[in-house]
Amino acid sequence: MTSPTILLVEDDPALRTLTARALQENGFVVRPAGAAPEMWQALERGPVDLVLLDIMLPGTSGIDLCRALRQKHDMPIIFVSAKGSETDRVVGLELGADDYIAKPFGTRELVARVRAVLRRGTLDRQTAREAGELAFDGWTVNIPRRELKSASGAIVELTGAEFDLLVALLDHAQRVIARERLIELSRTRLGDSSDRSVDVLISRLRRKLSSAGRDAPIVTVRGVGYMVNVPVERR
Amino acid sequence: MIGGERALLSRPVGLIGQIVAILLLTLVIEFGVSTLLYERASQFSVRDDEANRLAEHLVISRRLVAERPAAERPAMAAELTTERYILRWDRTLPVPPRIAPSLDGMRDQIIAWEPALARTDLRLNLTSPGRRQVVAGALALPDGSWLHFRTVAPLAHLNLAVERVLLALVPAVALMVIGGALVRRTLQPLRELAAAADRVGRGGEERVREEGAGEVVRVIRAFNRMQARIHRLIDDRTQALAAVGHDLRTPLARLRLRADGVADAPARDAIEADIAEMEAMVGSLLAYLGGDSDPETAMRIDVAVLCATLADDAQDRGRDAEYHGPDHCELVVRPIGLKRALTNLVDNALHHADRVSVTLSPGRDEVAILVEDDGPGIPDADLAAVLEPFVRLDQARGRDTVGFGLGLPIVTRAVEAEGGRLELANRAEGGLRATVVLPTPG
Repeated sequence: MTSPTILLVEDDPALRTLTARALQENGFVVRPAGAAPEMWQALERGPVDLVLLDIMLPGTSGIDLCRALRQKHDMPIIFVSAKGSETDRVVGLELGADDYIAKPFGTRELVARVRAVLRRGTLDRQTAREAGELAFDGWTVNIPRRELKSASGAIVELTGAEFDLLVALLDHAQRVIARERLIELSRTRLGDSSDRSVDVLISRLRRKLSSAGRDAPIVTVRGVGYMVNVPVERR
Repeated sequence: MIGGERALLSRPVGLIGQIVAILLLTLVIEFGVSTLLYERASQFSVRDDEANRLAEHLVISRRLVAERPAAERPAMAAELTTERYILRWDRTLPVPPRIAPSLDGMRDQIIAWEPALARTDLRLNLTSPGRRQVVAGALALPDGSWLHFRTVAPLAHLNLAVERVLLALVPAVALMVIGGALVRRTLQPLRELAAAADRVGRGGEERVREEGAGEVVRVIRAFNRMQARIHRLIDDRTQALAAVGHDLRTPLARLRLRADGVADAPARDAIEADIAEMEAMVGSLLAYLGGDSDPETAMRIDVAVLCATLADDAQDRGRDAEYHGPDHCELVVRPIGLKRALTNLVDNALHHADRVSVTLSPGRDEVAILVEDDGPGIPDADLAAVLEPFVRLDQARGRDTVGFGLGLPIVTRAVEAEGGRLELANRAEGGLRATVVLPTPG
């Protein structure tokens, strides 16, 4: 497999150079761009596997650029922002960005995020983007927002690992998933250095997903793994 | 017409002018009502037969007293005294008591029956010896001395005392009410101004309507301008600080990437620790200034799960954290603000202690969230100070706290935005207890 090509859009020249170098050292081919026009030119020069986009670019706002980019191309996009704002993150993810990284980031975090998004594969990303919401048993999961809502519409906060585990279970609803497979699936989310065993995560999820005398719809299949025992609707 | 009135009203009259106008108005009303009252008493007339009997008695008495020489006149007058009328002769006419209104109506009735009395300078007054209302009066004899008389029994339906008191009280009370209301209305803009001044700095700018007396309008106008200047100043500073905060993140990102290239591991770790501290400072500054997030709208969230997740997150980071309380508790709050507040409290506890316990206890009108640790606590004298921005208690021990000492002020702001409060206390068994109390709607 050839090295993935990354289009880096960043207006600060020094940071652009440093980020490019960090990515190159980790085996990526980098095509740097300082602003929107350069980005479009760089896209014409050949296929790109991933775009790393600073949303505080001069000229076109990063959010408009992301929307325009998403209309024409299907490659993964990672947002870079100096604003730690939750709203920015949600808007970016809803516009079709695949991940979000806040400044200041280190090489390790950057490379991990890029690899994770690339590994997800086109099909997975598309289903995740298109089926933005999963509904089951009164609960709603908004994948871009990474948000779980109860039947009464209340936001139910989960840790990153719990959320990933829940999505993995819902993706295989009404089928048993082996513990080992779940561990693997929930670890695709990097930067989360959780060592907790899947069993602990499952018991927490059960507690958080219980509702007024009813148990959470997650059953243990002894000796094999776990299963969501209700139908899941994609929206 | 109304337009003209508006124009007249819109031209502000001075405070003194308005108060003088109110005084003048009350005086005019008082005068008018008193005049009306005395007019009423003088119009008062008795039954005709009663007036006639008095007229006849007076005519006869006058003649009989006048026929006698001066020495015999008092005796004659005493003789003429009946169980109905008391008569008394005197050389002079005493001044009638001030508060005795004259009874013009009754006088007319008497003179109509005995026109001879018209030439006697007949005077009739209403007097109240004790609490009984009687008619008293005098008439002149031909030689210039006076025959005084008064009725013994109070005249029928002549209980003017109560009526008079009432009549005098009604305008007095009415005047107090009207005067009070008018003064109140004049001072209303001042009260609004005081309330607005009290709210400055808590939330948005709020212009006070420019109305009322001239002086008041000038004060309100100056206040509005001052308020606008203060808010512009705060906004400018906030924006400048927020911009600096955002802009610092780019060089910090450069620094962090450069640090990755440092071969000397201890030096790299030290640089990364410095960067992390700067990052935390920028983060807390932006959170405190609100420069990092747009105004949040309140949403329904499960606070119990939020608390449990904060403890779980700490556990995932290898720390000793526990959640106690119900599995679910839904509140309508600003989720990011509250999460940041509770995260700050948990991080603070973990910074100073080994164990942290998060407890949620729902009450009838309030939900209390307790974040308790087993650390050294805070000296009682400093409990209030740590809630102030930019205060750090670690100075003596060296700066081992990240941020600008904004952690707790950020909590206070977020909790106050929900109408709740933050309480800090040292636990009897050691350690700090931070309690966030949130109101439940309804």
